[in-house]
Amino acid sequence: MDEIIRVENLSKTFRTPFRRKRVDAVSNVSFVVRRGEIFGFLGPNGAGKTTTIKMLTGLIQPTAGTVSMLGGGPADLSVRARIGFLPEQPYFYDYLTPVELLDVFGRIFGIPARIRKERIESLLTQVGLFEARNRTLRKFSKGMLQRTGIAQALLNDPELVILDEPLSGLDPVGRKEVNDLIATLRQQGKTIFFSSHILADIERLCDRVVILDRGVTKAAGTLSELLTSDSGEREILAGGITDVSGLNGLDGVVRCETYGTDAVRIVCESAASDRLVGTLLRAGGTILGVNDRRISLEQLFVSRTIREKSCPATDNEGEVRGVSE
Amino acid sequence: MKNGFADSIRRTFAIARNTVLEAIRNRAFLGMGIAAFGLVVSSIALSSLAVRDQAERVLVDFGLAATSLMEIVIAITMGVILVFKEIDRKTFYLVLPKPIRRSEVIAGKFVGLLGVLGASLLLMAAGWLISLQVKGISIPAGVPQALLLVWAQAALITSVAIFFSSFASPVLSGVFTFGVFMVGSSVTVLQELMQARKGMLATPGPARLIAEGAVAVFPDLSVFNVGKELILRIPVTWEYVGASMLYCGFYCLFFLAIGALVFQRRDFS
Ligand SMILES: Nc1ncnc2c1ncn2[C@@H]1O[C@H](COP(=O)(O)OP(=O)(O)O)[C@@H](O)[C@H]1O
Ligand SMILES: [Mg+2]
Repeated sequence: MDEIIRVENLSKTFRTPFRRKRVDAVSNVSFVVRRGEIFGFLGPNGAGKTTTIKMLTGLIQPTAGTVSMLGGGPADLSVRARIGFLPEQPYFYDYLTPVELLDVFGRIFGIPARIRKERIESLLTQVGLFEARNRTLRKFSKGMLQRTGIAQALLNDPELVILDEPLSGLDPVGRKEVNDLIATLRQQGKTIFFSSHILADIERLCDRVVILDRGVTKAAGTLSELLTSDSGEREILAGGITDVSGLNGLDGVVRCETYGTDAVRIVCESAASDRLVGTLLRAGGTILGVNDRRISLEQLFVSRTIREKSCPATDNEGEVRGVSE
Repeated sequence: MKNGFADSIRRTFAIARNTVLEAIRNRAFLGMGIAAFGLVVSSIALSSLAVRDQAERVLVDFGLAATSLMEIVIAITMGVILVFKEIDRKTFYLVLPKPIRRSEVIAGKFVGLLGVLGASLLLMAAGWLISLQVKGISIPAGVPQALLLVWAQAALITSVAIFFSSFASPVLSGVFTFGVFMVGSSVTVLQELMQARKGMLATPGPARLIAEGAVAVFPDLSVFNVGKELILRIPVTWEYVGASMLYCGFYCLFFLAIGALVFQRRDFS
């Protein structure tokens, strides 16, 4: 089975009891998460990420649509036994020590006592809390709590790890640690579903993403699919040529500009790129690079979410940059 | 799943264990327990009732009543915040997605609180009996039975508190549960009033209808109160205790089942 999660037409409408106001937190969202991938669930605050994750973990019931995961549904105990979950801003029994907390959860998972003890010690070592293992959680810093949360999410050696905003609120060192941990988990063959509004981290880690805004899917796919603009344009970087005006007149050239002191950057139709490379070489230039024009995830994010709200007619051209570095 | 029942028990006890730990590590709760213990001991030890016979009656009755009341206070206060606190502090976000049924969480909370109630009962009873000894009053024969019944009553009230807290705020749940305790304690009084020749409840009418309804629905808590028998040195048979425990178990199951059903359907957002 290659599909770990299949979400189909998932919707959640919250109703405030008295004023009868409706909030469509999630509307008709569908996606598939495959085994072994890091799946990014991206969207600004209030997009509906946490609501969707709560439906995946059985904390709330969908208004409509279905969730199937690991061959069952969110309510199946056998499915839950194979999932690790880190909630957004996790809260703990603060009268317990991390060892005791993990022990409670280990008992729920039904991990036998001896294995439980070993697993807890190795996990606490892995997240760097071994020294603090017998201090009560009340005395833990935010970063330490987040690491405790990660440890409990890995306690059952899950196949699927669901992390809700695991990087928000951490300092740069903490973020790097969590990033590395996610990468390690993937190497172990785990499937990771994580939500974020932090674009850079999604961009660095994720194989595929869904972009959510106000409950609606704005984009979905692999990063390379999403980041390749569908304009069908390429970018040629050529050295030894400075005559921009001459190039601008050529067939297939969209735009042209100087690049540094001794180079030009030509944006052209993809179909014309081979011919233009030939032209440039004959004119005595050297080709420094030819790339499909890609936009960064951030630009995609902004263009698909914010743009529609405030300035629907904005010309996006200026924001596009090459990803050739 | 194999061993489904054993797994269910195991998960229930994991929650119960944590509930006991929470109570033990709660300073306010510990303080309350120690204060109650001190109150019972000191009030009995310091009492200087003149008439020997009267002192015995009062001290036996007072000790049992105080212990029983403390148990009810613990049952109501802890019962109504048990579930609420986990929702309010969002600790349920970590527990409920684990492979555990919500009904097991409710049952675990209940069992854990039974443990806490049992421990505090033993503590207060020890204080009571020690001070009886100090006063030179012989300990009545039915004490173990009486304590078991006090515990059963507290269990029943706990289940009522958990039931209300599955849909109402802690304060409201507390008020409702206390209401059930008051009505439940008055069931025999109501029955007597209805059988009386005169009075509001003796003749047909809305008041009598309400009283009849209350008698039919509410648990009769006087079942669990054998203070009088203790004073009069009337034996409390184990058959009676067993029947009362069954009565208690029936109501606990009823209230917990409805509570769990409501809890099951609840969104945690
Ligand atoms: N219990 C609730 N009642 C009403 N509205 C809610 C509730 N929970 C979330 N929402 C609303 O649903 C939307 C999505 O919230 P959320 O899923 O938390 O977004 P995200 O996690 O992407 O920041 C927001 O507009 C939020 O205000
Ligand atoms: Mg969120």
